Amino acid sequence: MLLPTTVVGSYSVPEWLERLKTEYYQRRISAQHLAEIHEVAIKAAIKDQELAGIDIVSDGELRRDNDVDYFLARIPGVHIPQRAKTDYFDYYDAEVTRPLPELADSPETSLGLAADFSFTRRLTQRPVKFSFTGPFSLSRRIRDGAYGQPGDLVRALARRLNAEARELAEAGADFLQIDEPFLAGYPEQVELAVEAVNMVIDGVAATWALHVCYGNRYARPSWEGHYDFLFPAVKAARVDQIVLEFARKGLDDLRLIRQHGWDRWLGLGVINVKTPEVEPAELIASRIRRALEYVPAEHLMINPDCGLRHLSPEVARQKLRAMVVGVTTVRAELTGGDKP
Amino acid sequence: MDVNLRPVKKLRESAAVRSALGPLIEAVCASPADLARLRVVCDWIQYKQNFREPVVGRPVGGTDLEIAVDLRRCADLDLEAGIKHALEDPGGLALEPWVPGRDSCIWRFNALYWQALSEWERATGREYEQSLPGGESDARNTEAAQELILELFRIWDELDARRALPDELYILELGVGNGNQARTWLDEFVQLDRRHGRDYYRRLRYLMGDYSPHVLERARQAVAHHGERVSALVVEATRPSITLGFLAGKAFLVYISNVYDNLPTDEVACIHGRIYQVQTRAFLADDDADLIAGRFGIDRARLVPLIDRLLRIGPELLSESAPAQFPDPGRAVDFWRAVWDALRLQERYLPLEGLDSYQVTAELTGEILRPLIEADGDVRMHVSNGALSSLTGTLPLLHPFGRVQCHDLFLTGSHQYRTGFYGPGKYDGSVVNWVNGPLLQLVASRRGFGVQFTPFRQRPGSNITTLTAQARD
Repeated sequence: MLLPTTVVGSYSVPEWLERLKTEYYQRRISAQHLAEIHEVAIKAAIKDQELAGIDIVSDGELRRDNDVDYFLARIPGVHIPQRAKTDYFDYYDAEVTRPLPELADSPETSLGLAADFSFTRRLTQRPVKFSFTGPFSLSRRIRDGAYGQPGDLVRALARRLNAEARELAEAGADFLQIDEPFLAGYPEQVELAVEAVNMVIDGVAATWALHVCYGNRYARPSWEGHYDFLFPAVKAARVDQIVLEFARKGLDDLRLIRQHGWDRWLGLGVINVKTPEVEPAELIASRIRRALEYVPAEHLMINPDCGLRHLSPEVARQKLRAMVVGVTTVRAELTGGDKP
Repeated sequence: MDVNLRPVKKLRESAAVRSALGPLIEAVCASPADLARLRVVCDWIQYKQNFREPVVGRPVGGTDLEIAVDLRRCADLDLEAGIKHALEDPGGLALEPWVPGRDSCIWRFNALYWQALSEWERATGREYEQSLPGGESDARNTEAAQELILELFRIWDELDARRALPDELYILELGVGNGNQARTWLDEFVQLDRRHGRDYYRRLRYLMGDYSPHVLERARQAVAHHGERVSALVVEATRPSITLGFLAGKAFLVYISNVYDNLPTDEVACIHGRIYQVQTRAFLADDDADLIAGRFGIDRARLVPLIDRLLRIGPELLSESAPAQFPDPGRAVDFWRAVWDALRLQERYLPLEGLDSYQVTAELTGEILRPLIEADGDVRMHVSNGALSSLTGTLPLLHPFGRVQCHDLFLTGSHQYRTGFYGPGKYDGSVVNWVNGPLLQLVASRRGFGVQFTPFRQRPGSNITTLTAQARD
């Protein structure tokens, strides 16, 4: 299929779910009840994506409080002194006081991502993308009191995530994405991040994507700048696809794809997730047409700029629908088929 | 019967306050009120100009009653008569139906003050800054300006080193006063930039935003020597994005001084665990209405429509449209001031059936109040709707490394509502309310901003507090 559509990962977190998640931290509902609520919300998120016409769906990352804590709370050796939160979306304060135990020392401690994937896999016939936060970004939320070199913490996290990726592949995950939402804030460390990405990927047979954006915490960019910093370092990443934001920032950075000879897939961000305004399908189509000047259609996947978590459910549905209509228009132009 | 004594500091300080309490309870007990359904709330209202009589009655949800007493004015008061009066229909000339606080016509008076400031100043013979506590705005301070500018230089140097510094460096001031803040800031900027040697002044864009064209024009004159570095925009402070949408993600500093205390607000109260909205109704006491009607040769029945017309068209046009009563604009301002002086607010508590059904701002429901109400139990507090709307509209304007700095009358802890009175009061022709700082802090936090309150260091002893909001994480 030309121009397959997908999401970056997270899906709209309704206000009621935010409140319930916070109530869990205030001991008003049990972990078991919250888990059941999450499962219901994930089913709804998948259904929403299917109804919108998304080709490759995700679980919406609805179990995760934010892009970091779900992982840090489960990684052996990461110490979180205070697990109570005022608001579910707050980050934990996490620290390591001694080197993380290597896998050989704690082989039974899975992070549970494979189980999350399997749950999703059972709910849909469509291909599933499964995303998780990469070692570089995770390391930025850990106070490092154990490693002499900051890169060593990143590598230790990468080894742990590699084990998780292997479990995911064994469970049938064939499209995996590493998210590095903090990388744009530390452009001088892109080589380290790429090295760690390769450690995560190592030996895992799957299609791999790498998502780098300028942050989406509270629907705001955490940094500004250009994707120049990614190149040429990112070419050393053994990923099949990079997933970048263009809708909010404009399409100027597409020049980097040609300039640096990126000949793999591009996940093209065509939906601005930081505004509730729904882009017209024609605008989305025009963004895709512009990208086709730089990337062959056979290497273009279409997605929002980033996760949809900060949009209301109705806006998220409308945006995805507009994206699908925009893609269908361009597909028809490319293949001579019917326009929507 | 509950008796709620809020001004605890005054209770310790003032024998007169303490000695008023006995007679007050005596008077309440001598009244025909159902004491089982009565609460008595005592405040110390520091504003000499305010919207209350010393003793007033407030229905609570249709069954109970609150008697509110201003202890500052109790010394020579016939409390028994006051209580009796509070239990009766107060009568008077209502200027509006019962409405939430933010919809009261007092805010139309407030808006008129800023729109027709020059006429008001001409009539009173003094500029508005003189009516501020201390006689001048807290904004005019070189030391504070230097601190901010040097911090900006540090951030800009870092961004520049990463090739992430935008070409245009935006600074926004909301509520510009007479332009002294802008002039001080820009003059200091020029000096410091020269020393710093990076020529940031060339890239600087200083935007002055204010509700009042008159105020803007005056401020613009104060900074005329900075030429094209400065732009002036009419901005509705509660909806800054309407005018300033182009600035989203670009402002390195948003400076706001003495604006939030002057924006419309509701109040909510938790009484015996139930949540109420405080509704208000502006009115003139019968005596005052008769006095004003007589003084200006107006039939009492025409007072309400005439006041409405004043609020719609201002004193100048009112004078033109009713020359018999107002032969010149000054006379119309006299009428305005007389009404404003006499203006009072009745209050009642209306149950809120669900917090989510109460729209605090266009974006926020009353659910945002829940953590504060649940944490503080029985409390009456400002919702600071206007300030919330302004802040939530301002935060998206910030560059990721930008900050909001705001000097105003902030409560810094909800507990303060138990121990003091924080408005509304009158400052000259405007309304003043302290701002619910913890609520602003909570809302900013839900948007990823850390909010800090610090005393306004440049003027020790001032009631002004500095709020600083910056992205966290």
